[in-house]
Amino acid sequence: MADANTTRAKLQIGEPGPGVKKVDPILVAHGVRRSFGGVSAVDVEHVEIPRNAITALIGPNGAGKTTFFNLLTGFDKPDTGTWELNGKSLANVPAFKVARRGMVRTFQLTKALSLLSVMENMRLGAGDQSGERILTALFSGFWRKREKEITDQALDLLTRFKLDTKKDDYAASLSGGQRKLLEMARALMSKPELVMLDEPMAGVNPALTQSLLSHILDLKKEGMTVLFVEHDMHMVQTIADWVIVMAEGKIVAEGYPDVVMRDPAVIDAYLGAHHDTDLGSLTGQLEVAKELGDSFLVNEISEEISDEASSKETTDGQ
Amino acid sequence: MTLAGTAPRRKTRWFVVIFAALAASAFVFSSAGTAFAADTPTPTPSASTAAAQSIGVWVRVAADKSNVAGVKVTITGPKGFNSAVVTGADGKATVPLDKPGTYKVALDASSIPAGAGAVLGTNPRDVSVGVGNQGVPAYFLLGSAATTPSPGSTAKPSPGSTSSGTSFGELALQRVATGLIFGLLLALASIGVSLIYGTTGLNNFAHGELVTFGALVGYIVSGTMHLPGWLGILAALVFGGVFGYLQDLGLWKPLRKRGVGLIPLMIVSIGLSLALRYIYQFVFGPGLLVTPSDNSSFLTLGPVHLRFTDVSSPVVCIVVLLLVAFALLRTRIGKATRAVSDNRSLAAATGINVERVIRIVWVAGGALAGLSGALIGYYQPINWETGGSILLLIFAAVTLGGLGTAFGALIGSLVIGLLVDLSTLFIPSNMKFVAALAALIVILIFRPQGILGRRDRIG
Amino acid sequence: MDLNFIPLAFGQILSPLTVGYALAALGLAVHFGFTGLLNFGQAGFMAVGGYFFAITTVKFDWPLWASLIACVVGAILFALLLGIPTLRLRADYLSIVTIAAAEIVRYTVKTPSISNLTGGSDGINGSSRDFYRLNPLPDIRYGYGVLSYNNNEVWSMIVGWTVVIVAAVLVWQLMRSPWGRIVKGIREDEDAVRSLGKNVTWYKMQSLILGGVLAALGTVLVIIPTSLQPDNYGTQTTFFLYTIVLLGGATTVLGPIIGSIIFWVVLSLSDGILTLLVSNHLLPITSVQQGPIRFIIVGIALMLLVIFRPQGIFGKKREAHFSG
Repeated sequence: MADANTTRAKLQIGEPGPGVKKVDPILVAHGVRRSFGGVSAVDVEHVEIPRNAITALIGPNGAGKTTFFNLLTGFDKPDTGTWELNGKSLANVPAFKVARRGMVRTFQLTKALSLLSVMENMRLGAGDQSGERILTALFSGFWRKREKEITDQALDLLTRFKLDTKKDDYAASLSGGQRKLLEMARALMSKPELVMLDEPMAGVNPALTQSLLSHILDLKKEGMTVLFVEHDMHMVQTIADWVIVMAEGKIVAEGYPDVVMRDPAVIDAYLGAHHDTDLGSLTGQLEVAKELGDSFLVNEISEEISDEASSKETTDGQ
Repeated sequence: MTLAGTAPRRKTRWFVVIFAALAASAFVFSSAGTAFAADTPTPTPSASTAAAQSIGVWVRVAADKSNVAGVKVTITGPKGFNSAVVTGADGKATVPLDKPGTYKVALDASSIPAGAGAVLGTNPRDVSVGVGNQGVPAYFLLGSAATTPSPGSTAKPSPGSTSSGTSFGELALQRVATGLIFGLLLALASIGVSLIYGTTGLNNFAHGELVTFGALVGYIVSGTMHLPGWLGILAALVFGGVFGYLQDLGLWKPLRKRGVGLIPLMIVSIGLSLALRYIYQFVFGPGLLVTPSDNSSFLTLGPVHLRFTDVSSPVVCIVVLLLVAFALLRTRIGKATRAVSDNRSLAAATGINVERVIRIVWVAGGALAGLSGALIGYYQPINWETGGSILLLIFAAVTLGGLGTAFGALIGSLVIGLLVDLSTLFIPSNMKFVAALAALIVILIFRPQGILGRRDRIG
Repeated sequence: MDLNFIPLAFGQILSPLTVGYALAALGLAVHFGFTGLLNFGQAGFMAVGGYFFAITTVKFDWPLWASLIACVVGAILFALLLGIPTLRLRADYLSIVTIAAAEIVRYTVKTPSISNLTGGSDGINGSSRDFYRLNPLPDIRYGYGVLSYNNNEVWSMIVGWTVVIVAAVLVWQLMRSPWGRIVKGIREDEDAVRSLGKNVTWYKMQSLILGGVLAALGTVLVIIPTSLQPDNYGTQTTFFLYTIVLLGGATTVLGPIIGSIIFWVVLSLSDGILTLLVSNHLLPITSVQQGPIRFIIVGIALMLLVIFRPQGIFGKKREAHFSG
């Protein structure tokens, strides 16, 4: 974090602030909106992610970070909006094609494939395997050579992530932190350009934290771009080159980590999030629901809120 | 509880929708007024015997579907097989066969009682029996050739007041009425499926057996104990609820406690459905059971004569459905049920006793299904798989309305009931379920969350 | 006391019914065990395959190879019809649509107005024509004692088991290939697989088609030596298949085949024992009541298997993929 102030290259054009243009953006999103039952969960006017940098997406619970992730990666559909990777539109592109374009994500709740071995998990991440087509799959001659390459690549990564001794175990037998590592290593199998990590530190044993951080820094060294959602401010300050702050679906601040962290608007966004939460009120419930990550309930409460709002309107009108 | 308490607007909206739907059905019903014709396909009663194969002979009068006893039937087959049987009081006889093959089944015309008419369709008839086939049907209808359907057609209770010269419009109106009545009966069963799905996540594939259970209770009370019909219906309601309660207590609750996943639970439900279905068959036999009802005219509207059950069933349905709607919207337990459907863990966190809610949902689901079964029993003969055969319609209705939404189930049921009956104007009645499936597929393509469901994230 | 049922029960090991159910169960294992698709309408795939084969053979006089293609095409079309609306949705939707579609196939083929094509409730006989013509075996009796077969029956068994073995090898090879890795990944968590750039919906469709085609071919092997009866393809058939698959182990290739053998032998034995008890008045039930008992046993066995041994009788507990 210390070197950030002195040696960092300028990432943005002009003064840092929400929606600021970047020198070399890899991902540009514009007007991306998603609402659940009338309540806006994501409302991003404009944002650019700088290439070959580590960008942190932070914000209080319910700020819409994960929803934004889901939208960008094709796991959810926005009401409106465009976004492009390397200048090519990703709007309405299904999730699997987004991944093939070089933008690979991980999940907040780890999705290790429990009843596949660690090695099989890794192999699944690789692309360009003709044995994944049903007809060629029948003849191992077609895919054995590529499988060997994939296996070598996987072993390499597993060694780096210190999972090589576990390679034949079921992924189910790994600890929570190891699963996070596996998921990240698996995402790297396809040699992506942009890696999107949803809370990589959540549930990771402190002993593993340091190695996870260094892995993320390594990604940048290898020329990849990283966008990650995180709550751990320490981690954000340690590794992020750029920080984007979301609150209530909107981007409220952007800038270099040391500057943004001192921004009163950001502190407000964080502190303001819960200190006056009233669990008896619908909005209070909405926050709790968002914190629980329950989109269904969020919809439900949002609908109640909008119903109430419309009923108020009718009363006022009379 | 706060959740449910803050929705006055929706309540009113709901009452309007429900009332509109019910009032419309009541109106169409009374104006078109026909006897019920929304027959679920009467499943073939498969007679079973000790032998590896068997043929089930069934002789009935085409006009009123009454069973004909004492008809002599000769069966000849490969390797000099020759067997003669006489139909019993239920019009049936079972012929055990050691070997599969093609058998010739011949009715002895001289043994047919006078007045029953002659055999319609081919006689003797070739019946092919595959390995392990039990009760391969050899059904004969008797009557005078002019008044009866083509041989082999499925029996369909004819609408009470249709004259031969019915116009298409009248016919359509009639189908609308029968479709709505059928939809109401379906709704009683569907709401339970929907509530159980909402509160536990389980798609209960054994729900049809709750319907059959009610039908059988109604049959026992009114058919064999000769008690009044309303008592049979009441008994079906009560015992259906008890059955639902016991199912939850003895099976589903322990499984929830064990933490069994939803997919295994669904497989458990198909196992339960299979076992229950055949337990019914074991106890009540494979044949059709007729709950006696008073066929005399109860209400006469112009040229239309209505039996008491024709009038009372829709009324009962509507009253009960309104009570359910009221309970869901206005009572504490109803609100709790909706809260649990919305989010189980949050509901639990706000102090709702989730297990209690689920128990009540099972009781209510069982009672409603039982009621539905008993009412069906007054429209058509029932048998051991009456409920099983409408299960797919129940699911179509629930999915159409939106999985897990009780009011969606009601609307979905009315739509499916209408669709299925109206489709018979254009396609053979055996194929009418195709319309329900087509509707299901179309809705899944264009609006997978159903009519009233909310847009959930889908892959 | 007539104990012939014992050798006859063990004769089920080779019977066409065992062959057909083994293939259909293998297909269901591809769906349910390997890919995690909750197909409750495997009986529908069987019926569609059977009817496409029987109608083209008997009513249209197509040669054997053409009818076989028709049977496969029928199963593929059925898979597309059911898969396109449901495979992108939650697992429950597939189960609902498949169970409904299977029953509707059964009602439809029984429709009187098309019975000149489908044979109505009586089904279709005589699909064996070309198949028996290809039989190279001399027309003598084979076997021993009560287990005696004519040349056509033996021919059916040989071809049937050959097909089962070939299918098992194919599925085994697929499941150890990268393709198998993807479908197994989908079973575990389809979003994870999607995030890795795999077209999950398309793989699910391939799996649905593959398993459906196996079921369709299995039916052909049953109806050739016997006949095609619509009521043999009711929901209970699907439930039998689930019992078979869970008996042997849903995530194995041999499981469904061994499961099918065990299932039919046990069912046949229990039927025989019941008959013995009933005919000697050792059980206070009538012979009509005896019929449903096998179904009650299967239903309860299915429930017990899922609850207590989801991995099957041979599998290891932690391999039961849906135990969590």
